[in-house]
Amino acid sequence: MTIQDLRRGADRTRLPDQDRPSNERSATTWPPAPERKQVSIASDHDGHRSSNPVITVDNLNVRYGDFHAVKNLSFQVEQGEIYALLGTNGAGKTSTLEVIEGHRKATSGTVRIFGEDPMNRKAVRPRMGIMLQESGFAPDLTVSETVRLIGPLTGRQDNVERVLGVVDLVRKAETRVSQLSGGEKRRLDFATAMYGQPEIIFLDEPTTGLDIQSRDALWNSVEQLRSSGSTIVLTTRYLEEAQQRADRIGLMHAGGFRHQGTVSDLTRTLPASIQFSLSPGAPAPPMRFAITSQQLLRIETFDMQKDLKHLLDWADAHAVELLGLAAAPTRLDDVFRAIDSDPNPS
Amino acid sequence: MFAIARSEFRQIVRNRAVLITTLIIPLASSAYFIFNRDMFENFDGNGYLGAILVFTIGVFSLYSGMVTILAARRQNLFLKRLRSAAAGDPALLVGLVTPISLISLLQVMLVLGVFAAVTTTPESLALLMLAIGATFAMALALGMATAGLTSSPEQAQVTTLPISLGLIAVAVWVAITGTEDLTVLKRLVPGGSATELIANAWDGGAPLADSLILLVPTLSWVIVSIALAARMFRWEPRR
Repeated sequence: MTIQDLRRGADRTRLPDQDRPSNERSATTWPPAPERKQVSIASDHDGHRSSNPVITVDNLNVRYGDFHAVKNLSFQVEQGEIYALLGTNGAGKTSTLEVIEGHRKATSGTVRIFGEDPMNRKAVRPRMGIMLQESGFAPDLTVSETVRLIGPLTGRQDNVERVLGVVDLVRKAETRVSQLSGGEKRRLDFATAMYGQPEIIFLDEPTTGLDIQSRDALWNSVEQLRSSGSTIVLTTRYLEEAQQRADRIGLMHAGGFRHQGTVSDLTRTLPASIQFSLSPGAPAPPMRFAITSQQLLRIETFDMQKDLKHLLDWADAHAVELLGLAAAPTRLDDVFRAIDSDPNPS
Repeated sequence: MFAIARSEFRQIVRNRAVLITTLIIPLASSAYFIFNRDMFENFDGNGYLGAILVFTIGVFSLYSGMVTILAARRQNLFLKRLRSAAAGDPALLVGLVTPISLISLLQVMLVLGVFAAVTTTPESLALLMLAIGATFAMALALGMATAGLTSSPEQAQVTTLPISLGLIAVAVWVAITGTEDLTVLKRLVPGGSATELIANAWDGGAPLADSLILLVPTLSWVIVSIALAARMFRWEPRR
């Protein structure tokens, strides 16, 4: 790993389009998607998105009997962003998502989507697409019948052929849902969620059970929806997907947020690490370090560039060889593991 | 609503077991009446037999079928999926129960039509339709309430038994013993007054005012059933 790699990795956010595999880059679809007014995302002089929330959650609480699933949760989702709701098992993600979608009533607190109560289906559902965690399709209907039924029920209009084309299910149009594989059902679910290009799409574990090509195609479609102004709220168990795709992440644990912000905001909460070993008789480095179980020296740092330079300068000055030198930025997995192993969640 | 009803109808038609069961009841009973028409020609109490036929179809086709359908749709999260739509709950429910209601109504019309052809025609068709409508409304609402207690279509075979057997027992009890003794009790139990109403509509002879009074307990049970349904029906599996 080079210094340039480290610099790039230390503050990594979403990959720009040109850095992605060619099969993920934006592509046009035919027939064209239904026209929707292009939504511009307001920015300030520094290029930061200015506040234009489409979802506002204020002091949300959800209880199931004695179990307090969501505790005093407050956050906003801005128009046009990809917001990932992540968390440990039982953290309250699905309960939170269900309240925002209007599938569940909050025990207390306020939730607004487009300024409306999510339970006001007539007002909000034509503007939102929902991909459930489990399919929920009638097994005896065919794929095209399912889209023809579920799509128009949202109050939006689209071309069924186009939608099935986006998820590569045209060949399966006359196949009954009961005969689809798990991955095909997920794609059908995504097709019904994106039907009519909604302004906001909820994706609950969208890529679970999908092969790599289908995942790439799905994310490609998500990017297209976002580029046309849609807001995306997702949960996923694949942290690398959240790290790569999400503008902001809400990391839940035991019913509340432990961290919220961009990937770099989250990874800044834990130190990065530099690891190496020394030849016998070499002097100890001039920095605080620990020795790992593999007898490696491990330096933890919140300022990778400065500390690595300091270490390399010291090694040069003392003619010390840093064997197996490896510098790793903090990853989302590390943050996730840190909260998961916390025995006393707040 | 129409789209949901259409898709429900498709699902019923494509499920071979359901389709066969749907056809067997009316065809078998119609065939029975036709082959034994001599026996029914001079039969006294056609109205009560008609009431038992209405209750048999209302219970085993409409009530049990509806519980099974709603439990199955909830179990595979189809109901939750429908609730992701812009339509309100009443429209979704009407769409879901319309096909099984229409099928049951057709079954009743076919069976009663054949029965009337081999016996006597009903004296008051309007009153008969009103009584059938009230019986079906009660079966629908009780079906929704029972579906709230039923986790799966398999479980529906058990959870529907108490109400199915209870309603049939009441209809048979009233039909066999008449309403001369224990009149109040027979009119107050669910299905009792509806049975008498169907009999009056078919056989005639009873003053209209007396028949209309029977609508009070009948419609009261419809209201009680709807209240139970509103309280007990669930759209998603229990967590």
